[in-house]
Amino acid sequence: MKRELISQALNGMDDRFISEAASFRPEAIQETPERIVHMKKKRIVSIALAAALVLALGIVAYAAYFSMNQRVPDATETFRINWEEHPSGYLEWHDAKLAITFPDTAESKEIEFRPGWLPEELASLKSDAWLGRLTAEQLADKYPNMTASQPMLIETYYMSMFNDGGALLLLYYTPENIIEEHWDEQGVDVMRFHATEVLPANDRRPEQTLEQDIILMSNPEAGWVVRLAGEAGMDTLVKVAKNLEIRETGNVLTYNDFIDHYTFMDGGVG
Amino acid sequence: MEDSEIIRLFFERSEQAIGELDKKYGAAATKTAANILHDRLDVEECVNDTYLGVWNSIPPHRPNPLVSYVCRITRNLAVSKLRSNAAVKRNSNFDLVLEELEDFIPSGADVETDYAYKELLEVIDRFLSTLNYDDRFLFVRRYWYADSVKDIAAMMNQRDARISLRLFRLREKLRIILKKEGLLV
Repeated sequence: MKRELISQALNGMDDRFISEAASFRPEAIQETPERIVHMKKKRIVSIALAAALVLALGIVAYAAYFSMNQRVPDATETFRINWEEHPSGYLEWHDAKLAITFPDTAESKEIEFRPGWLPEELASLKSDAWLGRLTAEQLADKYPNMTASQPMLIETYYMSMFNDGGALLLLYYTPENIIEEHWDEQGVDVMRFHATEVLPANDRRPEQTLEQDIILMSNPEAGWVVRLAGEAGMDTLVKVAKNLEIRETGNVLTYNDFIDHYTFMDGGVG
Repeated sequence: MEDSEIIRLFFERSEQAIGELDKKYGAAATKTAANILHDRLDVEECVNDTYLGVWNSIPPHRPNPLVSYVCRITRNLAVSKLRSNAAVKRNSNFDLVLEELEDFIPSGADVETDYAYKELLEVIDRFLSTLNYDDRFLFVRRYWYADSVKDIAAMMNQRDARISLRLFRLREKLRIILKKEGLLV
């Protein structure tokens, strides 16, 4: 009966709305002056960035209308990543396998999460506490077929961190088919894929293939990104992701709150 | 041909009226029916019945705008056809569209009244008035014309995911208004 009511109510919709929507008129879209300024600025920045990339790399940047853009960087492209353990304090990385970028975001809302569902093997991690990071490496023994990383890791990132050309990188692992989708229930854009790294044989061991699944969920309005990764299996990770409870802490994070504007997704432990 | 000219032909009982109506709004009527029915023969029948409905109702009616009048008749006929067609599956596109809004509407006998319908209609119209053009277009195309997300994305030259996200936000907006109005417990 609910459907009948909705159908009936929609059917009674005002004539002017129905006739207005009979065909799309792009010229009818009205932007507020503030938005026009913002869009113009953004367009200039985009054009400048694209031109720089074309000049530097000789390739055309791939830009998709999705809150996460992914591209395979040229093998010579250098990413200068802060690295405390190196005497110089940074690391110059070439041959990244994947770079994910986000729309420039002035302010990101800090979040915390707690899993609403976990597989039986990881059930001992369930608690009422709200977290910024969750690692399951201590339960690796529950997954005898693991190749390297850990069953499951959940981390948060913020889009404001990646402004001005920053990126979320895959340094070692090579992604397979990248699936882009939107999950209406959580209102997030999702990018997920299986990734592998082949370690060549040496005198101590034969060739080995490391594997993991990665899910990135981004909320472009609030400016946060959550990564779920590990070897628990894509179906399990999807279920964990879809049942993740996420709340805002009330803090706002801007570009200057982050020392580094790159981070990488390969790390599975810690 | 202008709408007023087509209406004049109907008033004169000229058969050319049907031809001109088909030329101008045939595609819109077909799309409206096809979004709900998905069966070519049913769609054709529905569009033909629409023309008959327009023929029988003009005169005395002199609708303005004509396009919404035609599409409304088509939509009514298509929904009736869908409901009376025993073979139709529950997971038709039209059912999916209604399903998206279903959670917002409280269940129970009280909502089955004429009052609930009128109140809901008023809130939806008011809600639409507050939206900008493209959001309104999006909402009406999805929930009145029952277009697929893919079709709307093509019309607006945007990605499917973007359209889904915007629809989600619009539904959330509507949910808040319904709650404020006391229609959603």
